[in-house]
Amino acid sequence: MKKISALLLGVSVCLAACGGETEDVQSLDEGAASIDEENRTLTIALGTDVVSFDIHDHNNTSTEAVHDNMFNYLFKRDSQNEIQPELVDTYEHIDDVTVEMTLKEGVTFHNGDPLTSEDVKFTLERVANDDTLQEYPNYRQIKEVDIVDDLTFRVITHEEEPSLFHRLSRLGSSILPKTYIEEEGWDHFLANPIGTGPYQFEEWVRDSQVVMTPYTEYFEGEVDEWDEVIFRVIPENSTRVSELLTGGVDIAVNVPPADWDRVNGNAGTSMASETSNRTMMLILRATEGFPTADVRVRQALNLAINNEAITENALRGGGVPTRTRVAPGNFGAEESLYDSYDYDVEQAQALMDEAGYPDGFEMTLHSPRGRYLQDAEIAELVGGMLKAINVEVTVEFMEWSNFVEMRQAGTNKDAYLIGLGNSMFDGAYAVDWYRGDRFVGETDYQNEEIDALLDASAINMDDAERAEQIQEIQRIANEEQPHIMLHQETVNYGVNDRVNFSPAMDEMIYVPSISKN
Amino acid sequence: MGLFLLKRLAQIIPVLLIISFIVFALVFIAGNPVALMLPDDASQEDIAQLTASLGLDKPFIVQYGHYLLNLVQGDFGESFRYSTSALPLVLERLPATLELAIAAMIIAVTVAIPLGIWSATQQNTPLDLLASGGAVLGKAMPNFWLGIMLILLFSVTLGWLPVSGRGTFAHLLLPAITLATGIAAEITRLLRSNMIEILNQDYIRTAKSKGIRNLFVVYKHAFRNSLIPLITITALQTSTVVGGTLITETVFSWPGLGQLLIQAVNTRDMAIVQACVFVIAILVILMNLLADILYRLLDPRIKYD
Repeated sequence: MKKISALLLGVSVCLAACGGETEDVQSLDEGAASIDEENRTLTIALGTDVVSFDIHDHNNTSTEAVHDNMFNYLFKRDSQNEIQPELVDTYEHIDDVTVEMTLKEGVTFHNGDPLTSEDVKFTLERVANDDTLQEYPNYRQIKEVDIVDDLTFRVITHEEEPSLFHRLSRLGSSILPKTYIEEEGWDHFLANPIGTGPYQFEEWVRDSQVVMTPYTEYFEGEVDEWDEVIFRVIPENSTRVSELLTGGVDIAVNVPPADWDRVNGNAGTSMASETSNRTMMLILRATEGFPTADVRVRQALNLAINNEAITENALRGGGVPTRTRVAPGNFGAEESLYDSYDYDVEQAQALMDEAGYPDGFEMTLHSPRGRYLQDAEIAELVGGMLKAINVEVTVEFMEWSNFVEMRQAGTNKDAYLIGLGNSMFDGAYAVDWYRGDRFVGETDYQNEEIDALLDASAINMDDAERAEQIQEIQRIANEEQPHIMLHQETVNYGVNDRVNFSPAMDEMIYVPSISKN
Repeated sequence: MGLFLLKRLAQIIPVLLIISFIVFALVFIAGNPVALMLPDDASQEDIAQLTASLGLDKPFIVQYGHYLLNLVQGDFGESFRYSTSALPLVLERLPATLELAIAAMIIAVTVAIPLGIWSATQQNTPLDLLASGGAVLGKAMPNFWLGIMLILLFSVTLGWLPVSGRGTFAHLLLPAITLATGIAAEITRLLRSNMIEILNQDYIRTAKSKGIRNLFVVYKHAFRNSLIPLITITALQTSTVVGGTLITETVFSWPGLGQLLIQAVNTRDMAIVQACVFVIAILVILMNLLADILYRLLDPRIKYD
């Protein structure tokens, strides 16, 4: 029995010791306290953690939404989605492949080092040359950066690159501190990142939080509305909403439609929404042997789907019906195709008769579940609507990584549901999805006219002409329906009343634009 | 004892080898993570290029051999998502998970022991039925649902405790209770049935007939004799607690191993998945070993061969 007592004593000492240690750990990140009027801490709840501070090696909008406060780009889209110089003061096209730019004076990194042409060269040439980086495909068009003097440099592309400024105003283009990284090493930078932005890095506890404080020497003047900004990671939707309702966070991203009434009905919180740059669509198989290979069938499917019924029912008003993926705000948008849809069951049936399917057919619709706003509900609704023209839809729900694999392996059947964004805000990247040789074995849609327009627009440095080419592609696609457009998604935030926050189309959470009410 | 320990430790090596194979094979079957890493509109050429540069185009046996070789040197590979070594990332999370697991075990044991004894001595009374019914319910409730219900009640409605995160003692309470519920239920049920069995034995009846006080009989004789299975089951439950943290951590956004593993699975971050499973496997093996040792120490009838 003595043995047992000794053992129990040992165990309890052990547990007590662990308990003590626990308290030490806890004191590290105390302060996720309640919100009051005087509180100068802004807390934002994200659904996923920041992936990395390697700005070239991720492809994650919510990570960029955090980085946006720490780094600057050479150019930046304004609230009208027009591209404006940010770090750049003046710029000039030397020839079709060369742009000379001069940096603003007095810009410094968070360690006090001034921003120079060397930093720009270091940053852009890294991502343009290292093919293991995830952002490499978006920057390999850049050949080199030539330094003229401390603040002046030339960006040279391999060939004509009409989207250059789009590239320089998006994720992957944050300017990195060359000297700091070379002296301290890349790992040190990743653990203690510095940029030129309005907020500086304080702490990152993985899957827990990122903390930032204002940078007093910010080149556009210190932003001091908040003493501290905390981005908290709360993956579970209901937990994130509960944090918002109890005042644990000021802003919660991605509030699902089922919770909108709760957030609006709660004293002190409300919903804020904005259209995103993501469009939901059905991608059809034009491969020989599938009913959807017939253009009349594709048109009939499109006519049988009531886009507005989807946005009203599945999205409770959150979403804009559309006939194109290129929404206003993107370069080359064909605005007549936006905020409208075609719905005519009779005409759809007539087209089905004409195509030789008066009694319809059976088809499979692949759909991810939980990837996009109400994706599963949308797929079910589409299936229900197509019954009106006797098309029996089997919806096959897939886990996201299997879904990606299905597409890659070309094992997609008649249709799949997908939501596609456009980080470039350039319509060229959306319409490139109609390029014939790009989806051989996957969708097999071919249109020579579109291919010719794509080739011409890719190297066209005349903005007006290029926009017209991109618009023409959208008009052709709207006739041919290789992809059936459904609607543009909204991004939906729950916001505490003490905070004044307007969501942005690009889903950035730019703290200098968030003020106290 | 020394020989026994040595033997048990030697057994760990083939077990780990088998685990490494299974985990690697499963992740391999799950497929190529490259398409998930690149943007929606990446071309086939971009995908092929990145696949090759990560060495993912090599045959299974080559990749596995490479993996084992690194493993022996303590290198679990690099996380695709975080582009840093996997093992330190996983070990960094271990304290948070252990903190939660230990708190849950303390709560579970503190609740279950008195409840189990009480239930056994009041056998078949309405109170016993209530306690054992509660235990069945506690065992049946999914952690996920229980966690959300606790948040709704104690945080949203009553406003007593924080919803999520890790910080103060208050942050620990709800996730620990969520995790403890199933474990407490299990221990209560086992303790109750053990005690009932012992209470019905001849020596207890003898003791009672000699006029020894009931309370003394229960604690001095019956409880002490049910300690051995109790400690074993507690040690074994500790390993299931580590598994339970997977879900609980996600609900309460507790930055531990479980949350890391779930996110890694979603993004097919192979190295992290493998390192997480390994660390969890080692924890479970160690807890089983501890249970065995305790069992042998407590019951002198068991030989150490």
